[in-house]
Amino acid sequence: MIKEIITYPTPPSVKYATDVRVFDAEIFSLIEDMKDTINANSLYGLAAFQIGSYYNVVVVKNESTSNFLELINPRIISHSGKVESLEKTAYFPKLSANVTRYEKIGIVYQDREGNQHSLRADGNFSILLQRKIDYTFGSSFLNKLSKEEKKLFQKKLEFGSDIAISESCPTLFNRDYIIKVINAVMIAMVALLMGSLFVDETTSKQLWGYEVYLFLSAIFLNIVYFFYAQYEGKKFTSCTSCQIGNIIGTAVISLFKLFVITLLSYFIMD
Amino acid sequence: MARLVVLGGGVSGHTAATFAAKWLGSSHEVVVVTPNSKWNWIPSNIWVGVGQMGKEDVTFDLAPVYAKAGINYKQAKAVSINPEGNERSDKPFVTIEYTLAGREGEVENIEYDYLINATGPKLNFGATPGLGDANGLGEFTVSVCTADHAVHANEEFQKCIQKMKKGERQKFLIGTGHGLCTCQGAAFEYIFNIEHELNKAGVRDMADLKWISNESFLGDFGVGGLHMKSMGFAVSSKIFAESLFTERNVDWIIGAHVNKVEKGKVHYELLDGSMNEEEFDFSMLIPPFAGVGLKAYAKDGSDITATLFAPNGFLKVDANYAAGAYENWKASDWPKTYQNPTYGNIFACGIAFAPPHPISKPMSSPNGTPINPTPPRTGMPSGIIGKAVAHSICDRILKGESSPLHEASMANMGAACVASAGKGLFDGTAAAMTIYPVVPDFEKYPGTGRDTDYTFGEIGLAGHWIKHILHHLFIWKAKLKTGWTMIPE
Repeated sequence: MIKEIITYPTPPSVKYATDVRVFDAEIFSLIEDMKDTINANSLYGLAAFQIGSYYNVVVVKNESTSNFLELINPRIISHSGKVESLEKTAYFPKLSANVTRYEKIGIVYQDREGNQHSLRADGNFSILLQRKIDYTFGSSFLNKLSKEEKKLFQKKLEFGSDIAISESCPTLFNRDYIIKVINAVMIAMVALLMGSLFVDETTSKQLWGYEVYLFLSAIFLNIVYFFYAQYEGKKFTSCTSCQIGNIIGTAVISLFKLFVITLLSYFIMD
Repeated sequence: MARLVVLGGGVSGHTAATFAAKWLGSSHEVVVVTPNSKWNWIPSNIWVGVGQMGKEDVTFDLAPVYAKAGINYKQAKAVSINPEGNERSDKPFVTIEYTLAGREGEVENIEYDYLINATGPKLNFGATPGLGDANGLGEFTVSVCTADHAVHANEEFQKCIQKMKKGERQKFLIGTGHGLCTCQGAAFEYIFNIEHELNKAGVRDMADLKWISNESFLGDFGVGGLHMKSMGFAVSSKIFAESLFTERNVDWIIGAHVNKVEKGKVHYELLDGSMNEEEFDFSMLIPPFAGVGLKAYAKDGSDITATLFAPNGFLKVDANYAAGAYENWKASDWPKTYQNPTYGNIFACGIAFAPPHPISKPMSSPNGTPINPTPPRTGMPSGIIGKAVAHSICDRILKGESSPLHEASMANMGAACVASAGKGLFDGTAAAMTIYPVVPDFEKYPGTGRDTDYTFGEIGLAGHWIKHILHHLFIWKAKLKTGWTMIPE
């Protein structure tokens, strides 16, 4: 029976695995469900946890022969070499991370009759087994990541996307230049307002005309900022300041200042 | 007047004897038979083994303490038990052989009404060729099982530091010296204290540290591992241990039965049946434990050792020794009262009782070599069991033979463990863990058999402070100083 695959944010460590003690129909049925689910989702392997069972069972599929390898109570008992691999797993759909794994491993496991076997694995097979056995001990590859990689992956989790995560968050965006121009326009408006205090009424009204042009320019620039900031934010998804809330907040503050200056100008200059 | 004889003065025996003496008062007699003149707080031996404590910090003389408690102390080793007496008397007795200076070899029979076997283990160095022999520790490795061993370990450790300071790279191999060892926790503490001290000495970059153990996964600790719940997540001790080993740059070999030790080299068999070797410059390997080799004789003088003791030399108690295969194991297999099923006035506590089976998953190599941790019965559980057994015997003496026995099953008992990972007031670390129950109850807690609400783990400086405070607290308690009964086991 094809089962639903458990995905993040259901924590693997809440439904952690336990060793199979009784090799009975329940376990055999679980293994068959895992095979069906692997086939239905075109996966290379599954840990029982991933379909909601706490038993220590892993099933992997041989890519070339399509045969399944059933591993009950697997243990990694030897390892050598280290390798960096870009991994994906059904638990974190659409996400990937660079994980440091052992290049070669030795495993002992039991079959359906409880007989113990051992195998040695290297390459992608070794990495797949390590990832699946992690699940059987209540862990995803999140616990295997370096501090930097973990930080980056948590951003990926936050945004639910793998895209453009690898770049660092810039300290200065193009949108910030628009805000600078808006601020310059508002400073000019304040300067005109202050200047109007020292000129006659006719000149003041003339200055008010310029003030209106500057006001409209600032409004236009705010509109440009609002849409461009969102566009730019999509290129830097690892940046929390790119979120829509921050963009709206910045635009609202700018508009508030603009309206305060304009209102004062209206009552004093016009 | 009834006489209670306690064989052994370790954590469990000392707890049982001191509480029994307090509860029974002067109208009954408590006798302690132990070959040692000093009491040793064994958990702190790891600090002696790296030179952070001296032998005198972890031991004290037993004689004045027992004199104060009104306990009849005999510095001797127990040789045999005659639970039915002999042809001349129906009164049961134990035969002891003095180790006290001036009386060495002198034999005495001590009659008893109740007997507690708390001898602890025989450190079975002889089980692994090269690790040692019948006389004890061998010449190629060190040990922290006793205070004297730990002093010797530190001497060898300091030599390694000096070599490293002169530019000579050193390889450290720490762990278990046999496929059926227990006490992985002590070795775990020792390797990280070694690592910590190497850092302090500024020679960490000159050292390669490697762990070797009979666990089938890192963090098994002889209890099948545990899941430490913290902030809503439960992480396996495997993940926790692997993170710690990786962070401290300590490599590991697991699923290993060390079958031979030579100068600078161990030979081991892995769970997959492969035979391997590992070289070392310094190695601390915990030996397997066995019973101390007590014999038992019937009234007619026939040998009834097999009636009283399990094949591993530990005393049979009210456990289910016929549980069979792993799938049949139940929490109820574990003893509750620690009373011998044949002789109701004999009890056991601490390591001396025969467990019904391991706690960790039983495993063996294709060659048939069993490689799995045997169950720990040290620390907190041994103290609790010792006190419960003393309580049962005191009730029977004071209230009558039909008094119910007190229970302290490890399947219904929680335990706290503080494992040091480096000693230092400001830079020390220790892993503080609680586990409930010690023996998994798969019926009560489907899954891992444990209640994760009571299973907790954290590593940090606070853990080290707790460990250090506990060191002083338990020595205070063992010395029977003011308020000792208030301090939990």
